Amino acid sequence: MRRIFMIASHEAECWLTHDGSRFVLNMPDGAVPCQLDPTGAPGAHVLRTGGRAHELRLAVGSESTFIHLNGRTFEVGRVDPDDRLAGRQGAAGGDRLLAPMPGVVVSVAVKPGDTVTEGQPLLVIESMKLETTLTAPRDGVVAEMPFTAGDSFGLKAVLAQLTPQEE
Amino acid sequence: MRRIESHIDTNAADYKANFAAMSERLKEFHARQHAARFERPQRDIDRLARQNKLGVRERLKLLLDPGTPFLEFSTLAACREYDGAVPGAAVVTGIGIVQGREVAIHANDASVKGGAWYPHTVKKIVRLLDVALENHLPVVHICDSAGGFLPLQHGVFPDRYLGGRVFRNQVKLSQANIPQIAIVGGHCTAGGAYVPTLSDYNIIIEGTGAIFLGGPPLVKAATGEEVGVQELGGAVMHTSVSGTGDYRAATEQHAFALAREIVSQWKRMPKTIIETAAHEEPYYDPKELYGIIPKDRKTQFDMREVLARIVDGSRFHEYQPDYGTTMICGFAHIWGYKVGILANNGVLFNDSSLKAAHFMQLCNQNRTPLVFFQNITGYMVGREYEERGIAKDGAKMLMAQGGSVVPKFTVIANASYGAGNYGMCGRAWDARTLFMWPQAEIGVMGADQAANTMADVKIRQLEREGKQLTEVEIAAIRDPVLEKFRRDVEAYTSTSELWDDGILDPADTRNALGMSISAALNAPIDDPHYGIFRL
Repeated sequence: MRRIFMIASHEAECWLTHDGSRFVLNMPDGAVPCQLDPTGAPGAHVLRTGGRAHELRLAVGSESTFIHLNGRTFEVGRVDPDDRLAGRQGAAGGDRLLAPMPGVVVSVAVKPGDTVTEGQPLLVIESMKLETTLTAPRDGVVAEMPFTAGDSFGLKAVLAQLTPQEE
Repeated sequence: MRRIESHIDTNAADYKANFAAMSERLKEFHARQHAARFERPQRDIDRLARQNKLGVRERLKLLLDPGTPFLEFSTLAACREYDGAVPGAAVVTGIGIVQGREVAIHANDASVKGGAWYPHTVKKIVRLLDVALENHLPVVHICDSAGGFLPLQHGVFPDRYLGGRVFRNQVKLSQANIPQIAIVGGHCTAGGAYVPTLSDYNIIIEGTGAIFLGGPPLVKAATGEEVGVQELGGAVMHTSVSGTGDYRAATEQHAFALAREIVSQWKRMPKTIIETAAHEEPYYDPKELYGIIPKDRKTQFDMREVLARIVDGSRFHEYQPDYGTTMICGFAHIWGYKVGILANNGVLFNDSSLKAAHFMQLCNQNRTPLVFFQNITGYMVGREYEERGIAKDGAKMLMAQGGSVVPKFTVIANASYGAGNYGMCGRAWDARTLFMWPQAEIGVMGADQAANTMADVKIRQLEREGKQLTEVEIAAIRDPVLEKFRRDVEAYTSTSELWDDGILDPADTRNALGMSISAALNAPIDDPHYGIFRL
């Protein structure tokens, strides 16, 4: 897979090859032979490409590399392809909260008619010595909270119901 | 590898309350640790000075490479025994660096009861030598002990894992070609005489060091012979007459310089090679763990938030992220070493158990060490789950875990209850190191459940005898049981009993694991093989 770099908020796909005598930087719009040599001073290098030599300084971090060239500093960020290609995890949440296991309701934080936002705690359940806070799967309005504190429920019981989303 | 995206709000009220509660706990923990290491009655300090001996901590400073880490084990061993009068169980153990090599260290602390061996002392030494055996670590013994604590002789002497096991393990180490050196900076009497004599090399410090099977008082009682310490077993006699001692050191400083030189002669065995990556500190601050771990043990939290503050770059490759979600499995690096992580995010169900078993097989096949983060209240109970074979799936997980050939490491991060402790590599399952966080709890069941169960049995028994109990009477039965259980499940009880290798400040976990993994790679990794999985 080609490497993805972020330069001035543009994504650039490029990769480095070696043709046996020199490095070649491949980019979508062509390939450029190049050579990078350290000069000995901290971070200082000479980049030779296109018949010219450029003096530059490099600072390499875990997320990005900073290049000081001709009085300007460029940040080249590395993009994790898994991060970029996975897209957003988890589609929009559903309308219902189902019990992940049998248990007892400890407390209920909202009532029907309340407007909730995604991630807002709706109720706390206890099962197997653990208290778990269940949160709203999406923004919406509470339609039903079938249980009150102290009630026990079975596996996959509906613990909270949001009003269906309008298209 | 992707970075874990943290959802922690460090300004949230919960976070702040947790942070304050953990800081308070840690203040107590660090104070107790400091006391166990350094605070001694003046008379004991005076006695050491009179005997012209250095304290055990100064000795360690002379032994270890300056500026290198020392992974100390079980600093608070015996903290709930002997009325707290035997800090650290009168012995210091750990893994340190001598001349660039990782070594296991066993050092008597003569400022505590003259370094006498109490039952917990023996347990701590045997554990250290087990660590040396499992990880192929050379051992440095620093001997200065009054001998077995006689009033408790049955707790130090006869059983399989008591006194004899110390010497048995020394023999096994030698057999396995793992070198040992002993520095005799005090008396090695009776059984204690075998520590230096079973070591490949030993050094006796002139004037203070002595080795004999029976000391002068015992000799006089047994045969009537009157003889002084130096004639009977001093440095000069042993290094020039008996050959029991190898080297005579003029001073403590001389002894440790000699010891370091001897260690540097040992053949360096190649370490096991596993996958590594460039070292990277966690992206998220490990101190944020204080705000993430809930102040109430019962409150659920996302273990990914914990991992994000332990592993290199906070990067984690999660395996089967959408299956068996109460069991988090995945790959990460610690100190650059690639590890497979199993962390609890709730109760173990059928699917989570199967996922764990499968993941452990992947890691064994790939020679990837395993790290367990326990927050486990058990395997799910109830008809539905029994019908699905929860006991059978739990057995598969145990078979994969117990049958693992790769090194395993365990952190008891919060709850460690029931069979969940087994599945997640509790003490009985040969974790190379096992550490606890200060608020963590360990037991067959929670304190409340245990107290209720025991009180119910008692109440029903009384009811059968025709007695009706009032609320007050029930409370009178239940409350003392509850109080006892609450204390019994605390990390301090566990660490006192050496069910772990020590309590950790959560922020130190990464380094403790890094050092443990590095040490474990001194031993080779076997080819994977298992028992029978109940399919």
